[in-house]
Amino acid sequence: MNFDYTDEQVLFRNMAREFAEREILPFVTEDDRNTYYRPEIIQKMADLGLLGAPIPQEWGGLGTDTVAYCLVCEEIAKASASVFTTALTVHVSLFQMPILKWAGDALKKRYLPKTTKGKLLGAFCMTEPNVGSDSASIETTATQSGSNWVLNGSKMWISNGGIADLLLVLAQTDKTKKHKGIAAFLVERTMPGFASKDIHNKLGLKSSNTAELSFQDCKVPAENMVGQVGDGFKVGMYALDNGRTSTAAACVGIAQGAIDAAVKYSQERIQFGKPIASFQLVQELIVESIVETEAARFLVHRAAYLKDKGEPFTKEACMAKYYAAEVAARSATKAIKVHGGYGYSGEYPVERLYRDAMGLLLYEGTGEIQKLIIGRESIGIPAFA
Amino acid sequence: MHIIVCVKQIPDPEVPPAKFKIDPDTKKVMPPPGLPPVISVFDERAVELACRIKEKNPGTKITAITMGPGKVSDVVKHALAMGADEGIVLQDKAFEDSDSFGNAHILAKAIQKIGSYDLILCGRQAADWDIGQTGSILAETLGIPVVTVAKDIEVAGDKIKVSRVMEDGYEVVEAPLPCVVTVSNEVGLPRLPSGMGIIQAARKQVPAWTAADIGADPAKIGPAAAHSEITSLFIPTRDTTCEVITADTLAEAAVKLALKLRETKVV
Repeated sequence: MNFDYTDEQVLFRNMAREFAEREILPFVTEDDRNTYYRPEIIQKMADLGLLGAPIPQEWGGLGTDTVAYCLVCEEIAKASASVFTTALTVHVSLFQMPILKWAGDALKKRYLPKTTKGKLLGAFCMTEPNVGSDSASIETTATQSGSNWVLNGSKMWISNGGIADLLLVLAQTDKTKKHKGIAAFLVERTMPGFASKDIHNKLGLKSSNTAELSFQDCKVPAENMVGQVGDGFKVGMYALDNGRTSTAAACVGIAQGAIDAAVKYSQERIQFGKPIASFQLVQELIVESIVETEAARFLVHRAAYLKDKGEPFTKEACMAKYYAAEVAARSATKAIKVHGGYGYSGEYPVERLYRDAMGLLLYEGTGEIQKLIIGRESIGIPAFA
Repeated sequence: MHIIVCVKQIPDPEVPPAKFKIDPDTKKVMPPPGLPPVISVFDERAVELACRIKEKNPGTKITAITMGPGKVSDVVKHALAMGADEGIVLQDKAFEDSDSFGNAHILAKAIQKIGSYDLILCGRQAADWDIGQTGSILAETLGIPVVTVAKDIEVAGDKIKVSRVMEDGYEVVEAPLPCVVTVSNEVGLPRLPSGMGIIQAARKQVPAWTAADIGADPAKIGPAAAHSEITSLFIPTRDTTCEVITADTLAEAAVKLALKLRETKVV
């Protein structure tokens, strides 16, 4: 048992923290208010190697371990969950990681190095207007036509959907086979038949792009299939295992950001002639968040550690995601309480942390879905239906 | 060209002074527990300047050396991740509590053990004690010139042109190599280590040298050899008092305020 970070992990955490302070924090409030996505931040992350850090060097990444990647996720999300969503959980965990595991060498060679250099941005497209948690019931169809597959249908709540160059799309090839008929495709944005429409008026994650997508007789070359027909559901589940781990790390970042803000404010704010930090009930609010956040961080690191060992980590990723998302929401709520009226206004970061935490409660599976998976993995009896 | 950069690990200066405690018996600063140390900000700029020189002069090698108790290899790894090629840690119980002369002796001995060098860069002062003597004494010990408070260095053959920060601008001086240059914050923001730089730095071995390894003279290091003594150490307290000026009219209040400001020698 060893709680020490390696040199590599410490250096990545410090670099990501410094990057966030220099390149993200100066714009974060303004961009949130203007619902502005700032692409130059993503390119700067690519220049430092952060767009694909856990991808092996032979495919254009750095080959870091998952713990180091999670520390980067935590630091970036602490500054901006929108930047984290765009550049890390979607682009790296949900898009690059399943391609790395499931795509053939030709596809990997064609696309992965460009994605790690920031030349191509990715998206992961599973959710549909009628298909959320019940992801095996995908209605988007893929029909073979000569050397192409033809996609028809629509996707909903797709992060990066309006800005991604390349989309990993799950579609059903044979409805009678249910999840065993699903296939995954790499769709280039410029392929005819593809269209996207941005979704506005979100509660949080306002500097990240979310869109609904439509595929109308969208022709995709057969070589762009990731894995085989029938692998699509497994591709999706693997993407989610990865996405849950990074999202859990981001939730720890949000919770830590809330704690840092609450500690600072409670030391500065004077009431009854003393800093409010000297009142026990205020300390209680902060301390509860500190303990829960540390526990969540250990759950994240354990999921990451298992992944690095090549062991199954589905249950651990779900445990981390479920708990860390709840902790992010609770810590942000408590931080707002510590700030009082100032926390309710846009002057301090805590209201944005709260709104962003609401988004992370939902994506990569709600807490309720995580519980069902943890239950199935632990008890052996699925309680999905 | 071989550049040696001396880097020091210090308590994070971003932490408010109130969080530090002072041990009255040993007259030592006690940083808050769990506070991760950082590279001294001026030394980080010295590494940055070395990296810029390396970019303009291919074939340049940078060696980062540090000294101190605990896990000081972190600052060397940071320098390696920024672009230094090699790192060395100097660690020995006998080094502890040396003053600027002692530290300069230890660094000089280590640099002599390294052997060949063209340029030695130090921060203009350590960002914890702000003494600012080690670089100059190091040059004196090695018997080479020193240029202080640099914001830029241009290599021209076997000489360098150094832009020195002045109160109202800067001056350019020329110095022969080898020499010591102390580096100021006017160098600008140090680069972030790249991901690839980190990967390479993490895998590099950083040797640790002891007093015996470098042949340090026991009579010149440690508290017994110190030329200076700390007689008292305290965190300054700042008292603020507020006085409200009252008057019947604004004009009267302004006159009273002006008189008060003159009386208290503010203006």
